[in-house]
Amino acid sequence: MNGDDLIEKVLREGERQADEVEVFYARGQSVSAGIKKGILGTAEESETWSMTIRTVRDGRIGFSSTSDPDRWKECLNAALASGRIATPQEWGGLPKPAGMTGTASSADPDLVVGIENAAGMVEDLLSGAAEHPVEVIGGGADLGRSHLEIANTNGVLYSTERTVAAVSLEAIREQSTGYEFDASPFLADISARAVGEAAASLAARSLGGREVETGHYDIVLSPIAAASILGYVLIPALSGRNVKAGRSSLADKIGEQVFDERLSVYDDPFAPGLGSTTWDADGVPTRRLVFVQQGVLERFAYDLKTGYRYGEESTGSAVRSGSGEPGIGVHNLFIDGPRISDPGDERAVWIHDVVGAHTANPFSGDFSVEISNPFWMEGGELVEPIRTAMFAGNVFEMLRDIGGLGKDDRRVGRLTLPSIRLNNQQIIGK
Amino acid sequence: MAEARYYDIRCVQGEITLIDIDNGVIESAGTSYFDRAVVRVLGSKGWGILTRDHVEIDSKREIDALVEAAARLSAVTGDQIDLADAPRALLPVPPLGEDPRDVDLEEKTRLLAGIESAARVPKVANTRARYTEGIDSVRFLDSSGNEFSYEAVRSGFSVIAIASRNGMMQMGSERDHITTGFNLRDKQDLGRKAGEVAVSLLDAKLAKGGTKRAVLDQELAGVFTHEAVGHASEGDLVREGASVLAGRIGERIGCEGLVIVDDPSLHEFGFIPVDAEGVAVRRTEVIRDGILTSYLHNRETLAAVGNGVPGHARAEHGAPPIVRMSNTFIENGDATYDEIIAECKDGILLIGSRGGQVDPGRGVFQFNAEYGYLIEGGETTDMVRDVSLSGEILTTLHDITLLGNDRKMSPGYCGKGGQTVPVSDGAPHILLENATVGGRGI
Repeated sequence: MNGDDLIEKVLREGERQADEVEVFYARGQSVSAGIKKGILGTAEESETWSMTIRTVRDGRIGFSSTSDPDRWKECLNAALASGRIATPQEWGGLPKPAGMTGTASSADPDLVVGIENAAGMVEDLLSGAAEHPVEVIGGGADLGRSHLEIANTNGVLYSTERTVAAVSLEAIREQSTGYEFDASPFLADISARAVGEAAASLAARSLGGREVETGHYDIVLSPIAAASILGYVLIPALSGRNVKAGRSSLADKIGEQVFDERLSVYDDPFAPGLGSTTWDADGVPTRRLVFVQQGVLERFAYDLKTGYRYGEESTGSAVRSGSGEPGIGVHNLFIDGPRISDPGDERAVWIHDVVGAHTANPFSGDFSVEISNPFWMEGGELVEPIRTAMFAGNVFEMLRDIGGLGKDDRRVGRLTLPSIRLNNQQIIGK
Repeated sequence: MAEARYYDIRCVQGEITLIDIDNGVIESAGTSYFDRAVVRVLGSKGWGILTRDHVEIDSKREIDALVEAAARLSAVTGDQIDLADAPRALLPVPPLGEDPRDVDLEEKTRLLAGIESAARVPKVANTRARYTEGIDSVRFLDSSGNEFSYEAVRSGFSVIAIASRNGMMQMGSERDHITTGFNLRDKQDLGRKAGEVAVSLLDAKLAKGGTKRAVLDQELAGVFTHEAVGHASEGDLVREGASVLAGRIGERIGCEGLVIVDDPSLHEFGFIPVDAEGVAVRRTEVIRDGILTSYLHNRETLAAVGNGVPGHARAEHGAPPIVRMSNTFIENGDATYDEIIAECKDGILLIGSRGGQVDPGRGVFQFNAEYGYLIEGGETTDMVRDVSLSGEILTTLHDITLLGNDRKMSPGYCGKGGQTVPVSDGAPHILLENATVGGRGI
């Protein structure tokens, strides 16, 4: 049974027992070439198929998923059973077909999902890494293509293609490690050689770092370090569900100057990127959302379910991870604002990445993390490695008064952001 | 036909039941299904690996076609891989106290709601509880004629409470997961504890960062063991040159009397009856009396590195096996809790875990406590919040100066290479000198 026939069957069968039914269907193929100790060690190919079903009856939402087309009936019954237990809520119906307000750019027609292509990217990674005296310990290249489809009993039937090309490399020299990566829907965005070179350069240059004394310093978070810390704290705080449930520090602050006036935060689902899409995981048309404009909090993100429950409009912010239920998230989040030259000329501690960002307190914003590949930065140049240290702070406090944004925007997953300079931050030496 | 020196196939068919209750609202409660297979072929050089949904493991024709396709994949690899021989055995899975399949979804939801509402003590603004149940049917076969099948049942929950006052928000969380049956009955006290911790953290101070003496409770010392030693002893990281413990077998890396073990055969949350390559599992002493004695291995890393015990290959369903920990712990010493606090004199007591991370190549790790207390003059005093600890693998184990006699295991999940598997960690209370404590208090 192919996808469309199966979807139709589930909708018709489900409709007999529920007010509304939604089917989300995904199939994909991917290849992956893995590096083991500087050599292409594993070649993987994966085919996946999944279907998730949501049913709504009297405001009760049921959900189930399966990876086996033959078990669609069992899956539908499980969704209906789950709906009988869910707490009923205000519900205004699944979306009807609507005009899209933009175009998405999430698939590369030239990307070929073939193991030889991934193996070629591994060669490029390794040749980039060979420019520095390091050992390559891991990494690899992935290529994938997937087809996604959503349909509901109100007549919505949208489909889209996604592609992804991703590379990473981890290098070591003595006890100094370096890790770099990149991922994009578009093959032409990815320079495997540059990623290999950058990882090796980090490992080579971080060797022989000196201790730093505990104290307050100006620091520069690279886009990777900034994305790690903000990803665990800022994105959850923008979720309407967390706001309404009393789990967001930003609740009740719409219209207030919450961050530095040089900071804006917006989600652009129409920008090319890994999260680019014209419809969200509920089947609602997406739109560009400005969360923070020049430091002023403008809005939060809602999906259909949270929107109906609290009398707010869906902002087209529903996302899915794997075959899970839709939840509130971001598509392509940008941190933006006026830039300073090469994140500031004055001496600062530059931080490439952090270890342990997931241990931050997502509600209060407090964190203390180990820092990776730190350097003294002078005049925008990395001049001397620092051995190791911790960095402690609070995300909401530090964004209130930043030193400035650099000119070095980059993609880190679904985020695009520059480096962020922060003055007078606490560093704990050994 | 492309050459296949060896192949194996691992199929996992299963059900996942999730219940999510947020502030008294049953957000979702239901079951989903998966059926995934991983086919691995060792060609003339490295691995070719195929992942598929729903493979008929009993169909020779289907298996032959998949093995042929995986062998073609392996042709692009350049690694020279050999597999060490390893003992085969399947342990009995622990008997289930109460089979979660005998409890209906309504009752599970009601019991979880009881735990969630117990967390709603005064000043708590938000409570959330999640139940997770997994029933996996695993089938394994390889080209050497080994064949195993077993069922794994996991049941448990987490509960989180957020207390709020004048814009300040603090959280308390508790969790409990087991492999020995249904696990939601008589657990309201854990909900209450999450609520009470969240409320008391509203008055806690920020810890002051710096180097000091630290006492770690059993849960946090377990995470310390996992991050500081466990990952760096994994044979794949050792083989790839990504671990500071490479080449150090027989070296003293910790204090006298220190014994660190990974034991997949224990009936804790990381239990497996046989590993993901069909190899028998057994207790592995990574450190014996302070000396590094064994790495954790799969067949491939045992052949390449030696010095260790195979049977530590694990895989998330639909993913290839890699070397993983299971139940990792420090064995008991003989100090009592009171002796440890008194011996610390001035320092910090750290309790519970918000997780941790390690860079095993650089030998640096970080982990975070849920909360703590200052220790002044040999007694615990003020409560502190948001404290992390960092350390270096090669020196930190020498800094353990007292081992308690009260070991306890805590369940959790561990991520590596994009795969998440259930584990447990544990230790007695321990006293650590020269701990780098990260906090932003003045």
